[in-house]
Amino acid sequence: MNPANSAALRARSTKARWMEWGVFGLLRVATYFVLACAAVVFLDIGIKGGAVVFRRHAPFINIPFLTEAPETLNVFEWEGRKRTMGDREFRTFRAQHAAELKGVQVEAYVYSAGGIFPNIVGTILLVLGSIGLALVLGVLSAIYLSEYAVDGPFIRFVRLSILNLAGVPSIVYGLFGFGFFVILLGWNVSLLAGWFTLAFMVLPVVITASEEALRSVPGGYREGSLALGATKLQAILTNVLPYALPGILTSSVLAIARVAGETAPIMFTTAFVVRDELPWQVKQWTDFFFQGVMALPYHIYVVASKIPQNQYTHDVQYGTAFVFLFTVAAIALTSVVLRTRLRKKYRW
Amino acid sequence: MPYTAAPAAAPVRLPTREALLRRRRGWIFGLTGDEFVKFVFQGNAAISVVVLSLITFTIFRDAVDFLPQNRENLRIYRLAGLELVDLLRQQVDDHKALSRYLGAIRQSEYARLTGRLQLAPTEATRRLATFDVFAERFTETDIAQEALLGDMTELASGLKERQKIAADLREAKQNYLAAARTADPARATTLRRQAEAIVVEEIDFAREIQPLLGRRADVAAGNARLLAALSPIAASTPRLDDSVLQQRLEKFQRLAVAYIVGVPLTEKKMAGWDQSRPVTWLESFNAFAFGRDWVTASFWQDWYGILPLFTGTLLIAVLALILAIPLGVAAAIYVNQVATPVEQRLIKPGIEFISAIPSVVLGFFGIAVLGETLRRLSQLPALDWVPGFPISERLNASTAACLLALISIPTIFSLAEDALNNVPRSFKEASLALGATRLQTVLRIIVPAALSGITAAILLGFGRVIGETMVVLLCAGNRIEIPNLAAGLGVVFEPVHTMTGIIAQELGEVVRNTIHYRALFMVGVVLFLLSLLINWLAQKIVRRYRLAPA
Repeated sequence: MNPANSAALRARSTKARWMEWGVFGLLRVATYFVLACAAVVFLDIGIKGGAVVFRRHAPFINIPFLTEAPETLNVFEWEGRKRTMGDREFRTFRAQHAAELKGVQVEAYVYSAGGIFPNIVGTILLVLGSIGLALVLGVLSAIYLSEYAVDGPFIRFVRLSILNLAGVPSIVYGLFGFGFFVILLGWNVSLLAGWFTLAFMVLPVVITASEEALRSVPGGYREGSLALGATKLQAILTNVLPYALPGILTSSVLAIARVAGETAPIMFTTAFVVRDELPWQVKQWTDFFFQGVMALPYHIYVVASKIPQNQYTHDVQYGTAFVFLFTVAAIALTSVVLRTRLRKKYRW
Repeated sequence: MPYTAAPAAAPVRLPTREALLRRRRGWIFGLTGDEFVKFVFQGNAAISVVVLSLITFTIFRDAVDFLPQNRENLRIYRLAGLELVDLLRQQVDDHKALSRYLGAIRQSEYARLTGRLQLAPTEATRRLATFDVFAERFTETDIAQEALLGDMTELASGLKERQKIAADLREAKQNYLAAARTADPARATTLRRQAEAIVVEEIDFAREIQPLLGRRADVAAGNARLLAALSPIAASTPRLDDSVLQQRLEKFQRLAVAYIVGVPLTEKKMAGWDQSRPVTWLESFNAFAFGRDWVTASFWQDWYGILPLFTGTLLIAVLALILAIPLGVAAAIYVNQVATPVEQRLIKPGIEFISAIPSVVLGFFGIAVLGETLRRLSQLPALDWVPGFPISERLNASTAACLLALISIPTIFSLAEDALNNVPRSFKEASLALGATRLQTVLRIIVPAALSGITAAILLGFGRVIGETMVVLLCAGNRIEIPNLAAGLGVVFEPVHTMTGIIAQELGEVVRNTIHYRALFMVGVVLFLLSLLINWLAQKIVRRYRLAPA
């Protein structure tokens, strides 16, 4: 607060001061309340999920959870106490103890044993592909908007489209992806359909961010290059893009967080509830693009809504949520940190 | 750049200057390299336009067939006489609702007798004896009509079933014939023979409907008996000691009177019902836009009315915004005007970081933690005065709204903060110089100056809430019913279903190109148009009230 200002305040009647103190206090409480709410979500999932993913003893990480496929969990009474077993283990166990197991009640909980490895792989594949597509389309588009475009009806229309695309709900992208890629183009539920759907969804983010990065490169760089006889393309490739690249990449990290975090667009375009083969176990290399994959966000949806909440399903629910939330949060955090560092580094 | 044509006589070496300035024409499609590159970029810039048009094209293409299909759906509904039966069903349902109302009153009275007055159950039942007799007599009056309704339902659905079988056979026949057209001659003959073997029943609806129409006389006779039986019963309504319950009983009497008045009207409607009245396009559209039911895969009649979903979405969105606007805007004002620089540096990314929480994780949090917490909270005796408490369902509109508020706060916060930031510094300085306090400056100068931006921020937050899928799918309770606003503020604790939720829930299971499938795309169209509208409004507000450059 500037000194003259606070001096004036001190001279004023106490009532006004109390009012100000009260209102600003309220604002402060509201602000910290919001942060507290977010903290509660992070803490709840962090603590309960952390207990699933991390271990007290070496190797400190629940490796099977991260490297195995989901399995059905079987719960049954055995020699006076509850036993829990994954499906594969249970089958061999049943083969050995067929006689004793007769008449024993076995409760089965789908996806509650094993791990989430295929889901992690699927999410990584989805993110890589869609970000790649979005970056190519988005950056080229941004180059035109910032380097070539002259204000006119076409450009205004393009900008309007970008603005509106940014507001379209993600489920509508899902509907579009389903209607267009999956059905009209006949790609079925496939990686490719998911890539395009997600890429189109983040396109506005990538274009806006890339354009901002390109525009922040000083005009002198371009002019200097042109003055030395470079063509426009050469000027862009040598004197604009390299300086804008850190900015573009930083912002695209934000797009990664968005792509990884969305569930609605992949529900009907890519995601399988369960699939036994891993993505690279395909007959021909072309099949790779036309296969559905399991993905983390969809898995959370499935385990949160399709199986009951109890002590047996708790682990897979919180474990998956933990891995997913903190991966996405880490990506977002990287973006924030990179952006602040970048702003300090490049000051023109 | 001046362009000079090359001299006609080629052998002369061009002067260096000219060689440098001359454009090399036509190496790709008659364009110079630079022009070509420009076109590539330009083509890419058009991608967003292309995507937007593709989205529009796809969802409209799949949605547009909904209207004719729904029209056909309604046409069968009318031809097979289901519409006529539903007129009577409405009357029977009204009667049932009254019976249920009596049952609810009895339950409250019983609870009062055994609870507050601490009577033994047998004693309580004895005291309720007159009431029970009354309720039973009331319920019994409608038994004949219910039986008649069941009878008519069977007739109508039998007719509809036959129609459906005929339609399926007709389609199979057409498929055979279509296949025959492209198949080789030998196979084509077999296909044609197979097609001819299919006998499609041609249903003469006007004739088949006669038995059903004949029941109208029975309905009229039954109604006359019903009214005759009801009037003495209505007169003998018992009294209850408790004033609140007595009021409810009086309300029952009023409702019963309304019901009695309605009976002849139903009869008149049934008499005036005309099977041959064509179903108009408007009817087909209205059944979607103003339909109060979303019923699918029903043995009777499927309805695709968007109203329950739309109101559900709206209820959740409004509630979420009521929570999010004060918090988001307050946080924006605080960070922009009050906070110390250190706070600013921490809070701003902090709140923006919330938007990184994937919505499906928040939905899971709602199921696992928030829903249960809210219900526990609602059972505290100290909070009994809150309308709607205690909550009966763990997952309801309020659970989803709380989480959606958290989702929309970052949007509202960062846009509102931008708007506050854009208020020229001179405004603040002028206000302070005139002797206003900081509070006065903030509330009377800065916030009003940024109001258009803040409004736009709220609108975009609204768009974010409406479009959100996973949270509502997981936490809103998914009961397809128009929220009962008569319940007062307690309505926010009812489970609802939403437009986004229904698409996510049902699209995976529907058969392609059926009316249900189209209906889901129609919902998608509504969502899409709504998002465009919100976007357009936000832009318009920002442009309209933009501050003149200082």
